[in-house]
Amino acid sequence: MAMAALRREGRRFANPLLSPRPITAVRPSLFSEEDGPTGFRNISTQVVRNRMKSVKNIQKITKAMKMVAASKLRAIQVRAENSRGLWQPFTALLGDTPSVDVKKNVIVTISSDKGLCGGINSTSVKTSKALHKLVSGPDKETKYVILGEKAKAILIRDSKQDIEISITELQKNPLNYTQVSVLADDILKNVEFDALRIIFNKFQSVVSFLPTMATVLSPEVVERESESGGQIGDLDAYEIEGGETKGEILQNLAEFQFSCVMFNAVLENACSEQGARMSAMDSSSRNAGEMLDRLTLTYNRTRQASITTELIEIISGASALEG
Amino acid sequence: MASNAAVPFWRAAGMTYITYSNICANLVRNCLKEPHKTEAINREKVHFSISKWEGGKPQRPSLFDLIHLKHELGWENCSLNVIME
Repeated sequence: MAMAALRREGRRFANPLLSPRPITAVRPSLFSEEDGPTGFRNISTQVVRNRMKSVKNIQKITKAMKMVAASKLRAIQVRAENSRGLWQPFTALLGDTPSVDVKKNVIVTISSDKGLCGGINSTSVKTSKALHKLVSGPDKETKYVILGEKAKAILIRDSKQDIEISITELQKNPLNYTQVSVLADDILKNVEFDALRIIFNKFQSVVSFLPTMATVLSPEVVERESESGGQIGDLDAYEIEGGETKGEILQNLAEFQFSCVMFNAVLENACSEQGARMSAMDSSSRNAGEMLDRLTLTYNRTRQASITTELIEIISGASALEG
Repeated sequence: MASNAAVPFWRAAGMTYITYSNICANLVRNCLKEPHKTEAINREKVHFSISKWEGGKPQRPSLFDLIHLKHELGWENCSLNVIME
């Protein structure tokens, strides 16, 4: 700013002979850039007008995104709520054992591929990191399996040694069970685990999401736990059909439980994502509106000030001629 | 229950219960009548990209895109595993 003013001053001092006082001859508004020091009469409103235009455009975009998120949310909310019926029987049968202490933990962090959805991704990453700290010990191994671009981007910074698998582009087509189960199958085949801990945002309402952990134990651990009479002791009360052993049944159950829990977790997280995006876009369009109001006020005030100044000049000039 | 006797066989083939149930589900879907059949099959599109990490670096991602493969190969008669490999 100061340099520009100096340069303008310098130019004026440099050619005083060529144009001693050209300013008075021409309307000052045309020279608002050239004669800086006298420019206070006509502060350029161009900058403010451009700013207003861009804020207006941003507001349009955020409003549109809010609409899109709202309609997507409605579709996915029903599915997420219906999918809760898939894991509930498993929890009734096998119990939820978040505090189980095993050697090989695998943390499945679920996040979204796209941004602009508030804090849901950082919440699930923070929860995963806290859990990682909690379950890791001297002779234990804890690995991450990451779903979604966003959690990958955050976790790559400080725990990339612990990442085992990352999965993206899950939401290109509408989420469905086949897709999630193929994915769960792939995780099962490629990762060694004693307990899978799935971290996701459970949808509660459009504005509230609970970071949630679901635990899926490996069949061996389930068997051990049920024999030691822990929380999973009820399993013996059930009759097993056919010639299968308990171990086989448990393995099938654990696999199916994992795919069901994953399906629910992915849906809940997608639902939370849309909800979070909706409220984030709502508040950002409101902010844009407030900003626009402030800018309009500044703009009008400046315009009015310059009009008033011009009027005063004309009137005082006229009265000087008369008097 | 005939399917119970089959368990050791698909286990030995390297399948998990998830794969097994997916194949069964697909068979059921193929038994639907026409307008519902295409609808049900098109609903279950599989698409994601997966990459394994070694030593803090992601390996080349591999893409799962079953719906295209399914059309090319005629999925009805082959198992999920064959397509995935």
